[in-house]
Amino acid sequence: MAITTSVHTQKDLLTHFQQLALQMLGSNGQQASRWATLRRAAIERLPAVRFPTRRDEDWKYTSVSAITNETWALGRAVPIAAEDLSRAFFDGLDALRIVFVNGIWQPELSTPLSEWPKGLTLQPLVEAVDRHGNEWVVQVLKQRLSHVNPFVTLNTALSQDGMLLQTAASACIDLPVHCVFIATEQDEPFVQAPQLFVDAHPNSKLTFIEHYLPQGTAAPRYFTCATTQVRVAANAEVHHYRLQREGAWGRQINYCAVTQARDSRYYSYATDLGGMLVRNNQDVILEASNTETFLNGVYLLGGEQHVDNQTFMDHAVPHCQSNELYKGIVMGKARGVFNGKVLVRPDAQKTNAFQQNSTLLLSPTAVMDAKPQLEIFADDVRCSHGATIGQLDENAIFYLRTRGLSEKEARKLLQFAFVAEVLDRMPDEPVRQAVCQLVQDKLDELS
Amino acid sequence: MLTIKNLHVSVEDKEILRGINLQVNAGEVHAIMGPNGSGKSTLANVLAGREDYEVTQGEVIFNGQDLLDMEVDERAHAGVFMAFQYPVEIPGVSMATFLKSAINAMRVVRGQEELGPAQMLKFIRERLRMLGMDESVLRRSLNEGFSGGEKKRNEMLQMALLEPTLAILDETDSGLDIDALRIVADAVNKLRSPERAFIIVTHYQRLLNYIVPDYVHVLYDGRIVRSGGKELALELEARGYDWIKEEVAAG
Repeated sequence: MAITTSVHTQKDLLTHFQQLALQMLGSNGQQASRWATLRRAAIERLPAVRFPTRRDEDWKYTSVSAITNETWALGRAVPIAAEDLSRAFFDGLDALRIVFVNGIWQPELSTPLSEWPKGLTLQPLVEAVDRHGNEWVVQVLKQRLSHVNPFVTLNTALSQDGMLLQTAASACIDLPVHCVFIATEQDEPFVQAPQLFVDAHPNSKLTFIEHYLPQGTAAPRYFTCATTQVRVAANAEVHHYRLQREGAWGRQINYCAVTQARDSRYYSYATDLGGMLVRNNQDVILEASNTETFLNGVYLLGGEQHVDNQTFMDHAVPHCQSNELYKGIVMGKARGVFNGKVLVRPDAQKTNAFQQNSTLLLSPTAVMDAKPQLEIFADDVRCSHGATIGQLDENAIFYLRTRGLSEKEARKLLQFAFVAEVLDRMPDEPVRQAVCQLVQDKLDELS
Repeated sequence: MLTIKNLHVSVEDKEILRGINLQVNAGEVHAIMGPNGSGKSTLANVLAGREDYEVTQGEVIFNGQDLLDMEVDERAHAGVFMAFQYPVEIPGVSMATFLKSAINAMRVVRGQEELGPAQMLKFIRERLRMLGMDESVLRRSLNEGFSGGEKKRNEMLQMALLEPTLAILDETDSGLDIDALRIVADAVNKLRSPERAFIIVTHYQRLLNYIVPDYVHVLYDGRIVRSGGKELALELEARGYDWIKEEVAAG
């Protein structure tokens, strides 16, 4: 009878989510607008959503019962002291700040719009749609209505705030945009569903950081259901950092979709340190030739953490390069998942696709599931993939110890070195240093 | 400084060292020579603390302490250094990070203050200059992609920075051309001092053309079968090891 119970619970949960979403929409008082119509369409779809089970191939290693078994409220805007923000920002990093608290944009904590540089604009999504008639945003939200990933629909229905970041054509933005998503403790577990749209116009250059963390060192009960949409226009370049430091209780499922036009470059640097249950979906669709894509990932897991990285590189056109490198360390009873799919369609001749996933498994109870998945339908391509799971080299530990390092120091140094290959790819020095420090702190905590 | 008494060591139940006795005093340079498989590297590795070896009998006293009872890093802290025959390549750990970690780890246990970044760089630069090495080495990963000569030179740099009281060179000359050999010898000679002793494990006499030992010991079949001065090395060079083997066989 277990199945009946779970179906019943899911239906209840979806009805509950639908009610929450309708309340929110009603309170906005904009039922007639285009934005509200799109939202309403997503909300109406909610009852038809089916949450994945482990029988679904893409969710084979990750159960979402930690989400479907809870009852969730919506995030509320709560005041947060400026000093609570200090953990969220990096020493020496001059950046444009966008702050969300519990899924709600906080303009007073963010860089005032008057101080934004020429060539870069920030708009709430509702304004982008209703005031500026942004057809790209509308089109993406429409496509998401029938998205195969139910959490994308959930995000559209439940999102309280979303922002659109746009570069002007040929604008080279020197300051990175630092988007901080802070969660605080509420009476009940809550959902935050921020949306971020990034539109890099032709020949422009932009760096942005998504940074998820709880307030203080508490472990608030929340679920981040986030989506990010990135469009990299012709000859544009985007550097996308994602630093996930969710609290010990926190759950996160995010979906990031990137489309790349001719001659564009997209680089992602994902670091997963926190969270109890985390699922990252990263899709990159190559729409025109001569693009370059680097997907870099680091994960450090201990305790009973579960972090699942799903990547999808869609090579639809010829002459594109993609390079994926995900490395991580799994300890305790934690479980890591990497499922990297590379699709090379029949027209995508001269594709150059590389993928590597390497994991150090440092306890007998830690688990790693690595599943590289190459599907190649073109015949003149260079594709390679590799997955390794290993331990630390005892010879190296001995060597370091003969130089006076304790066994613990030696192990930590080698662990850091293992992921440093990925961290070294981060071009923004203050960001790289901040992430390196957080990685060191996590290694200290785990050792 | 170092007293080895009746040391017996086995690897996977095979006895490799069968009763080694050796006394090394401060300021002395001892060369340990012998044919392949005689147990030379085993002796060096047991002194450094490698775990694959089982000591079945005997003792090793280093400055009054039971060396065999000490952890690998404790031996380093006490002043034992081994230059590896095959230094380990460690990708991702930069030379700069590694040297700083090692030097400061050593300083902390010796009750000295950690060196700040500026003092550290000054100290490392000074030793690089002493060994005629280029500073660019600090940006490379530890031993990764180093040539054989570069690796051995790097071992000498670490020795110069960690300032051990007992340095053991495990076949540091193997695979080196004459220029690299000179560099290694030059480093040892610069670091020779009345407070410091060296054990130089080598198969060939040629290194001893540049590092003049006080004593030469011939290790064969797990025992020191002959000891003498530097002239013993020359005799081995001229006559090979067969006459030693024959003498041992004859009892």
